[in-house]
Parts: sequence; structure tokens; C-alpha cells
Amino acid sequence: MTTRAEFLKRLESWGVKLAKDVLELKEPVMEIPARTLGNTIWDEKARMLKLGPEKMHRRFLDMKEARRFMQTVLMLRLIVEAIREDVYPTIRDLYYNGKHTISFKDPLSRVHRENTWDEQSESNAVIEDIEVATNVLREEMGVSADVKGKIVGPIVVRSQGYELDASKFGETALSLPVNVDGLEIVKVEAAYVLVVEKDAIFQRLVREKYWSQENAILVTAKGMPDRATRRFVRRLNEEYKLPVYVLTDGDPYGWYIYSVYKSGSIKLSYESERLATPDAKFLGLTATDIDAYKISDNYVIAANDRDVKRAQELLRYPWFQKPEWTREVNLFLKKKKKVEIEALSTHGLKFLHDYLKDKIRGKKFID
Amino acid sequence: MYAYEALPVAEWFRRNRELAGFHNPTRALYQTVRELVENSLDATETYGILPTIYLRINIEDEQKSWVSVYAEDNGIGIPGAEIPNVFGRVFYSSKYRIKQHRGVFGLGLKMVVLYAQSTTNKPVYVRSAALKSDKIYEYQIMIDTNSNSPIILDRKEYPNKYRWHGTAVKVYLEGSWLAAKKRIEDYLKRTAIIAPYAEIAFKGPDMELWLKRRTTKLPPAPKEGLPHPKSVDVDTLKQMVAESRGMTLLEFLMESFDAVGEGTAKVFLEWAGFNPNMKVTAMTPEEMVKLVEKMKQYGGWRRPRSEWLSPVGAELLEIGAKAILGAEAVFAVTRKPESYGGHPFIVEAAVAWGGQIPPSDKPVLLRYANKIPLLYDEGADVARKVVDEFNWQNYKVKFPASLAVIIHVCSTKIPYASAGKEAIAEVPEIEKEMRLALRDAAKKLRLYLSRKEKEMEMFNRYVSLAKYVDEIAHNLAITSRLDKDKLAKHLHKLIETKIGLTVEELVKHTLSLSAAPQEAEETAAQ
Ligand SMILES: Nc1ncnc2c1ncn2[C@@H]1O[C@H](COP(=O)(O)OP(=O)(O)OP(=O)(O)O)[C@@H](O)[C@H]1O
Ligand SMILES: [Mg+2]
Repeated sequence: MTTRAEFLKRLESWGVKLAKDVLELKEPVMEIPARTLGNTIWDEKARMLKLGPEKMHRRFLDMKEARRFMQTVLMLRLIVEAIREDVYPTIRDLYYNGKHTISFKDPLSRVHRENTWDEQSESNAVIEDIEVATNVLREEMGVSADVKGKIVGPIVVRSQGYELDASKFGETALSLPVNVDGLEIVKVEAAYVLVVEKDAIFQRLVREKYWSQENAILVTAKGMPDRATRRFVRRLNEEYKLPVYVLTDGDPYGWYIYSVYKSGSIKLSYESERLATPDAKFLGLTATDIDAYKISDNYVIAANDRDVKRAQELLRYPWFQKPEWTREVNLFLKKKKKVEIEALSTHGLKFLHDYLKDKIRGKKFID
Repeated sequence: MYAYEALPVAEWFRRNRELAGFHNPTRALYQTVRELVENSLDATETYGILPTIYLRINIEDEQKSWVSVYAEDNGIGIPGAEIPNVFGRVFYSSKYRIKQHRGVFGLGLKMVVLYAQSTTNKPVYVRSAALKSDKIYEYQIMIDTNSNSPIILDRKEYPNKYRWHGTAVKVYLEGSWLAAKKRIEDYLKRTAIIAPYAEIAFKGPDMELWLKRRTTKLPPAPKEGLPHPKSVDVDTLKQMVAESRGMTLLEFLMESFDAVGEGTAKVFLEWAGFNPNMKVTAMTPEEMVKLVEKMKQYGGWRRPRSEWLSPVGAELLEIGAKAILGAEAVFAVTRKPESYGGHPFIVEAAVAWGGQIPPSDKPVLLRYANKIPLLYDEGADVARKVVDEFNWQNYKVKFPASLAVIIHVCSTKIPYASAGKEAIAEVPEIEKEMRLALRDAAKKLRLYLSRKEKEMEMFNRYVSLAKYVDEIAHNLAITSRLDKDKLAKHLHKLIETKIGLTVEELVKHTLSLSAAPQEAEETAAQ
């Protein structure tokens, strides 16, 4: 396995190349694979999103790029220093460490002030740029993000020497660590994995002991999944061959979350090979469910313009080009109606369980 | 060199003093300053002398609101024997020739003297020495309004050891300093704009104003000229005939008029039905009227010559406006000579931009006629109309703007809109030239503004890159363990190469366009 020191070398040599260009009076240009939809390739065979060959060039002498150039160089230094000092910052730490005000007095003595970055989204974006440009993953840099993932169910793991049984957390749950690859899986006796988009539904299923009745591992990442949660789901599927089912709201946003678990995301397509779970199946909610499960109008919400736009985008994604998905999305666009998971309570609180069992036993899922 | 003539109407003018600008104690004080300063300028610059003028106003008796005005110049002076007539005889002037002066009527001084003696009953004090005169003369003079002749109260002579030349005048009059103060200050400043080669030191009861000489360059002195056939009226013709000493009509036309050669004269006389060999003195009054009419109608004259006009020139206008208005940039043009009704004229225009000019919704207008600032009756002036109708948007000017417009008309005959001589009438030829002059000057302004815009853009481009240099060098240096200062230096170099200018050049360009005006170089009085 590659060590952190070797990753450090790769990061440093990228910086050295830029610096040498400057010293040779060549304009320093960063070559960064483009993390755009246009450069996202749907790998039919691998059934996941991959990063295309397209590169963007971030030039210091381009007025529109200079700020990003500065931010990238700043972030590179922060990461390089963290590794040199053997610390493990979070992306939020890096944001705060790097945030300060640049003050520049121009030759006419006017002072210009500007923050290195204002929002964390800016510093996050350059971290991802550095990952793709140097081919060193954030996890390999030892840089972590807030992990939102938690699990409950018949699985025992070992973390820093402690054995943790995820079936013994009562009404609470086991939080996933930053580095899930460092988590040793001691024992798994589950029949399947159920990924739930929403924390509220996850908690209900825990309280109602759904997992013990079904012998299932419940996972949630509270919305759009972070990398650690996706990686853990992938491991359960890959290493223990557990079927993975995903339950989200019945709207384009929920459907996209499912596709991120399954195929990867546009922004992080370079990570799909580690994170995607191509075998994951979609349980619901689908647009068809509204009629199929006779969901009361009280629970049906009118779609707004943003939902519609998002749905149209889904139709254009190559990884949504399956008859089942085209049918669902088009049905949504036709009816302009969406439902949340909670809508299943239309037939009483217990109905959620019946719904899940019906879908899984009857194989009424979308692949 | 001098030709003095007398006309007996002192009494008439005493009664009609508002015509000449002596309506009330305020206008009278202002007008007195004008008459004295303009005579001083005429006596200097027209003869190639750089004007130095001392002007002092004192309050002599607050109760009666009596003030004194003292003006001294370094001009050509007045020959001792002429002083009484110059100060005591109305319509006595050396300026009746066709040549551009400030003064034209031979009236100014006498109105000052008449107004002064009618309000304070005090004489005018004069001290003068002509060029190379070995004596200095001092007079105290009053005017006998019944006989239009000077009364000499006192006369002294001194040896002129140091060959001083010039004239000093002091009058006592009823005048309202506080009410006239603003106008007088304005007048002097505006005079300094159009005559930056003059040094004017003014001391008032509660203020001082020292308008320094900004250049030693004088506009070329106007030459003396002859009237154009189209411009002559019957009275002038009679006067010219009286001086003709028995010439034939053909000779008379060729000798006494501008732009008339033998060929032109013959063709004209035949066309007009006159005998070229007839003696001019033999003309009947009817024939004289007919000759004037025909001369006006005839289309074959050459255009009047303009050598006797004295425009200020773009360079001097720019110097003056920059210095006095504190403008950031001034663009001036002098148009080619044109004529109306046989009178040659030249229009000059300048636009002054930025600096200390207070921003306003329409341009500040500074009007001049034969280098005299016009302060009153702006609304009646054709220049105001031209400036108001001008489409500034086409010239990158957006209001409110720091913009002043200078319009100067010089002519052997300024067509005034009123007897007050404060506004120029709507003569189509002049209006058109004003429009064109303003357009030419505004074009230069537009060029300047767009260049400035570009320079500023370039500067901002520089800043938008340079502001990151330190941050980038610092971080790259840590990552690569290479030298920070060297990285920073090279990053700056890369920016300069990209922009195509060094920082010094960039700053110089940007500054030269936007900085406060530099003081024009001081030059010692001659
Ligand atoms: N400061 C002076 N230096 C030399 N000559 C002077 C001076 N002031 C007046 N004169 C002479 O006196 C004459 C009369 O002056 P005056 O001001 O009365 O009339 P003007 O200047 O000819 O015409 P205007 O009525 O337009 O002022 C002038 O033409 C000039 O020859
Ligand atoms: Mg005069």
C-alpha cells in the first residue's frame, strides 16, 4: 500500500512544477481534469460514472482564474503542511486555517482587501481539484469530512481495538468513522442492507425494530451521502455480498441520491470505483407508487419548477437511460406530483414495514 | 504710432451711463476695474510686453461708501502731452484702427472719470511714462462735461532715471465693494484664464488674489488692417473719403480697403456702374450711399483677412484653464478665420475636465469676446444656446460632470446682443463656428476619456492579478521549498509581460491621466 509520505511527494512535486515554471518565467498553468457533466462518462460495463479525459487549464494570468489559482496554491500548502506535521485535519479545519484577508496596496496607494475564500464550498472545491489533479484522494491525504453516516443491525466492527456490536445500540446508532477502510468488520449476519435517505425514517425503523425482524442492516447518511457512508455500503456489498436496497423520497432529488449510491456522482466521478455500489436496488418511492399504493391526496405534493428542471436533467443522464427510469421520470413530469416517504403512513404507521417487505419479497424494485 | 481724434458728447454719456455699465455703485465699481485692467492689457500684450498689473481697491469712507481703485501697469505708457485728452475727452482713442483690442470706443476711461467725479467730486490721478521717455508725468484731471474737455488740476514732471514705462491710475468713486467682490474676483480669474501670460496682483479691503504668470508666451500681436468693403457704413466712408487726398475711385478702392486688388476693383466698379477715374472727393452723398450699398451686395470680394485678429491659441487656453480652474485636462481648438458681413472673426473653444471643477448637471460656461470675459446676461448669449444644445453623450460625458466650456470669439466687430456688451448675438456664421469649435474640442476630450478608461482598465487588470502575488509566492514557497521573494519577483514580471507594460510605465500612464494638474512652471517677470 502507498504510504502517506509517498502521497506527500506527489503533492509536493505538483507544487514544485508550478514554482519552477514561475522561476523560468513561464506562466504557471494547472492542468486539472474537468469535474463537469460534460466530462463525466457513463461506463456501461462497470455500471458506474467515470472521469473523462477532458482537462481544464487554470492559469495564473487569466483574470477570471487568478483567484482560484491562488486558492488552489493555498490549499495545496495547507494539505502538504498537514502531512508534513502528521496531523489529520477535516475539510472544515482547512477552510478555517486558510481563511484570511489579503490586503494589497496598489501603486496608486489604494488598498484592496479580499478574503482568500468566503464560503467553505470554495475551499472544498479546490480540495477536489487537487485530488483529481494529483491523483491523490482526500482520504489518502488524511483529510476528512464530517461523516453523517450511521448504522444499526447485526454487524460487529472493530474500531481502535474496541469491538462494537451495531445491534446493541438500543434506540441510538453506531456512527461511521472518517476512515471506514480502517474499520475492521468482525462479523456480519444480515440478510440485506437497507439504505434510508432520511434520518427520521431511519430512527422510526430502529425504534420499531424493523432491522431485527428483517435481520437487516439499516444505514442512513441524512440526505446526500458523504464518501465514508458510500464507501461502507460498497464494502458491505462487495465484501459480504449483501443485497443493498435504497429507500428515498419519491422526487427527482431522492432518485438522484439513489443514483449516487449506485453509480457515483458527477462531482466525484473520479471516486466511483471506490464508492459506487452498482448492485444497489431502488425500492421507492416511485411515481407509480402513488397510484399503486393508493396514497391519499393529503400526502401528495405538487412539484415545483425546480423539481421539474431536476427531472428533465435526470432524463438526460446516460445512467438513467433505463426503460423503468424513463417511465418513472416521465410519469412524474406528466403528473407533476411528488411524495415523501412519510406518505406511506396513509395506511397507518405500520404500513411502511408492509411496503418494504412487499417491495423486497416481490422484487418490485428498480435496478 | 498714435492717432487721436475727438468727438464732443461727454454730457450725453454722463446722462446715459447705464449704457456703458455704470448703473449703480456695484456695477460701477466692477466696470471701473474692467476698464482699467483692459486698458492695461491693451497697453502691454499688444506691444509684445508681458503684462504685470497691480490692482488695489480701498474703502475710503465707509459712511458714504466711497472707495478708491488704483491700477498700475508696465505698458507703453501715454505721452505726457496726450494724458489730458486721453483722460478728459470722450471718444478720444488710439484704437479706432481695424485691429483687435479690448477697448474700441475711446470711452472707457472717461466714463470712469465722469462717474468718479459725479459721485465724489474728486479728480483722477494719473502717472505715466511712455517707452524710452526720460520723464514721468503726473496729472490730476477732471472733465468739463459741457465742453468735453479736460480740466487740469495739477501737473508734475519727474526725471525717469530708471526708464520706467507704464501707467498708474487712481480714482475715487462711490462703489459697493461687498456687492461687487464676487464679480471682480470672477472677472480677474477669468481674465487670467485667457491671458495666462499676465501677472495680476490684486488687493481688496478683505482679500488678496495673486494670479501668477503661467507662461511667457504671448499670442502673436495683431496687425493693423483696413476695412473690408462689405463692412463699411456711410459715415465711415465719408471719413475715409476725407482722408483720401484726391485719389481716383479705383485708387481709393485699392488703397483704402482690405482684399481689393486692381482686377477686383475694376470688375466691381464696372458692375456697380461707377467711373474708375472719378475723383472720390467728387462723389455726391447719393453716390456715396450707392457705393456702400453696392459694396455690400457684391459677391466677388475676397474673404476679409484675419491678420489683425488676435486669438489666444489652444496652447495658452490650455495653460490658463488648467491653472485657474484646476482642471485635470483641458482641450482647446482655434478654428480657422471666418467672416460675417465683411467682419473677420475666429472662434476658439476649450473644454476643461475634472480636477477641481465642481460637478454639475450642465457645463460651466466661460464666455469671452476679444479676450474680455463676459459675466452678465449669459442667458442671452448664443454660446449658452450652443453649449446647451450640444449632445454631450456622443462624447462620453455623463452628467453630473466636472466640465467647463470656454468659448472665445475674436473679431474686429463683436456682434453684441445688447448695449451692455455682455452677450453675443445669434449670428448664424458665428453660431455655426461655435458649434464646430466645441465639437472639435469635445472630440479631443472623448479621445482622452476613452484612453483614460482603457488605462484604468489596464491598471485594474494589473491589480486583479498582482494582489495575489504575495499569497501565491508564500504558499508555493512552502510547498516547493523554493525562495519566496524570487517567486514573487518572477510572478510580477510575468504580469508585466502579460500586460505589456512595466509597473512604472503603468503608473505613469494612469497618473498622467488622472492626477491633479501640476503647477505650470513659474517664470520670473521680465
Ligand atoms: N493704461 C494705459 N496705458 C497706455 N495707454 C492707455 C492706457 N489707458 C488708456 N490708454 C490710452 O487711452 C485711450 C483711451 O482709453 P479709453 O479706455 O478711454 O478708450 P479705449 O480703451 O480706446 O476704448 P474703450 O472705450 O472700449 O475702453 C486708449 O485708446 C489708449 O490709447
Ligand atoms: Mg479702454
